[in-house]
Amino acid sequence: MAPRTLRLRAPLVAVALLALAATACATARPTAPASDSPDPVAASGLASASEAAPSGYPVTVTDARGTDVTIPAAPDRIVSLAPSNTEIVCALDACDRLVGVTDFDDYPPEVADVPDVVVSAQVDVERVVDARPDLVLAAGNELTPSSVIAQLEDLGLTVVVLYPESLDEVEGDIGLIGRILDEADAAASLVDGMRQRVAELTAAVDGLDRPRTLYEVYYAEGVTYTAGAGSFLASLIELAGGEPVTGDAQGTLPAEQLVTSDPELVLLGTASYDPSLATPAAALEAVASRPGWSTLSAVRDGAVLPYLDDIVTTRPGPRIVDGLEALARAIHPEAFE
Amino acid sequence: MRATVATRPLILGPTLGRSTLVLAAGSVLLVAAAGIGLAAGTSGVAPGDALAILLHRLLGIGSVTWPASAETIVWELRLPRIVAGMVVGAGLASSGAVFQALLRNPMADPYLIGTAAGASLGAVAALLLPALLPVAVTAWLGIGAVQVLAFVGGLATVLMVFAVARGRAGTPVVTLLLAGYAVSSLLSAGVALLMFVAGDRLAAVVSWLLGSLGGASWPRLALAAPLIGVSFVLLLVRWRSLNALLLGEAQAAALGVDVEREKRRLTALAALATSAGVAISGTIGFVGLVVPHLLRLAFGPDHRLLLPASMLYGAVLLVLADTGARLAGGIPVGIVTALIGAPFFIWLLRRSLVVPRG
Repeated sequence: MAPRTLRLRAPLVAVALLALAATACATARPTAPASDSPDPVAASGLASASEAAPSGYPVTVTDARGTDVTIPAAPDRIVSLAPSNTEIVCALDACDRLVGVTDFDDYPPEVADVPDVVVSAQVDVERVVDARPDLVLAAGNELTPSSVIAQLEDLGLTVVVLYPESLDEVEGDIGLIGRILDEADAAASLVDGMRQRVAELTAAVDGLDRPRTLYEVYYAEGVTYTAGAGSFLASLIELAGGEPVTGDAQGTLPAEQLVTSDPELVLLGTASYDPSLATPAAALEAVASRPGWSTLSAVRDGAVLPYLDDIVTTRPGPRIVDGLEALARAIHPEAFE
Repeated sequence: MRATVATRPLILGPTLGRSTLVLAAGSVLLVAAAGIGLAAGTSGVAPGDALAILLHRLLGIGSVTWPASAETIVWELRLPRIVAGMVVGAGLASSGAVFQALLRNPMADPYLIGTAAGASLGAVAALLLPALLPVAVTAWLGIGAVQVLAFVGGLATVLMVFAVARGRAGTPVVTLLLAGYAVSSLLSAGVALLMFVAGDRLAAVVSWLLGSLGGASWPRLALAAPLIGVSFVLLLVRWRSLNALLLGEAQAAALGVDVEREKRRLTALAALATSAGVAISGTIGFVGLVVPHLLRLAFGPDHRLLLPASMLYGAVLLVLADTGARLAGGIPVGIVTALIGAPFFIWLLRRSLVVPRG
């Protein structure tokens, strides 16, 4: 009897293991931009950013869900559930209005003093409520779980969801937060500055060779997680003068497809978190021993670089332009000599 | 204590005085667990305020000296979770006791014959295909499609397993177990396939599968708690059949129990309580397996005591485990119950190698 009853639990165990494996993947690539769904925020927010919408409340904005959210008065107790939202709020000189952020927030430095309401990627709803926010800035695409967003709204909180998937949409979201905070002018000048730098950077790499570039977000068990097809990260690599080697919509790139794509340049975003990859020699040695990698052009030519600017490159806030510059310098160092 | 129980005939069971003591102690523990759960949290609400808010909301006494946010935290976040922990914990532990007796299998838990796989498939399908259930229906019920389909999936799967296992001569326990295994495997494959294609929604799927009381709310409880309550009452009055079934089906029949009818009813009632619980919380392991074993070891197998004690102590365990999970940064409560349950279960297994069962 005993062996059979043990086996009866096998399907549950299998589901549990699968769930754990899936958790590992999900948490391992929170920064991989994915999906290419249309975002209604971009157009509306962007327009108002450059035209400096008239101030005066209530303000109604359309967020990344396509939901119209009405802000009754200028928010002065803001909870940000994503570091990119925090950076936008602070870039608009509203850092002192933040009453809750995530434990992953590290910029600007003064947000270290703001209480954490997201710990280990888990939104602590009790702490959010305790912060008595008049505005909650959540992240879309399940980075803030949709069940949590629904719960916060059921509790009567005002929630705006942001999920920019391109440079235009980051600029659009800056404009949108500018309208919400009655800082539309500051938002417009921030966006203008970003556009000017993007123009300079793209001009610097214009006309140069475009190497097939693999940006590694994460690697495990023969599978590389990289820029998803049509993703934000892929579009940045293109702007920086490279030809992005992409995975599927989620950025998953199996080994065989990687070998077929044959990248000429590998940027190890993982080096930002793994000190053992921090030098070019160690990075090259580490990837050359992976199954199939020794044949890649990038590995044979030694074009494997530890990339230490992962955060600014994958965090869709105002510093995304710093990320673009870091990418351009990594892909085309000759253009910046 | 155990020796005296073992030498006593099963049907007689413990004395009235001792049963009263066990249940009274369980009630005291439950109130204490609820108090701890209400007072403890990750925000700065003072424990005294938590109690004052409860008294104010329930009895209308005292004056408001706390911010509105504290009242939301205590009344809308902590209390629904505690009540959900009680209801789900009680449902899981008592269903576990029923299935262990019914299937005469020490490893039986409330999920064994299909509830977990069926509820998971229902919930995951609802998460990935929001159009599956018309919004009008879920709005009318006041809860999400995920909860509705988890409940329906869990209950329907057990009924299907029962239908598969049922032959002309009744429903043999071994056939029931194997049919449960087969149907669960099939549905788990469906869950795995949906997870594989889930893409961006995978995180939502995983967090549901891991089980949590974090989504507990009054509307969800308003629907699930009465279902579980009704099944409690109908299970409690069947203690005689359960005791008889412990002796074996032939002996139970000899004692005048309509074995097949009781098997059907007990399975349906336990599946009802489990599925309604799963709809609130997702699947939470070990409560339904370990609590009945623990109580059986301590107080003997008489279901007149075992069933109500399972409800009380199952509620205590889950409320405490969920409080621990909340304080530990919102980790899934299944991790906490497993951390408590797994070592105990290993001990139980080791022990059963030495001492023959029964």
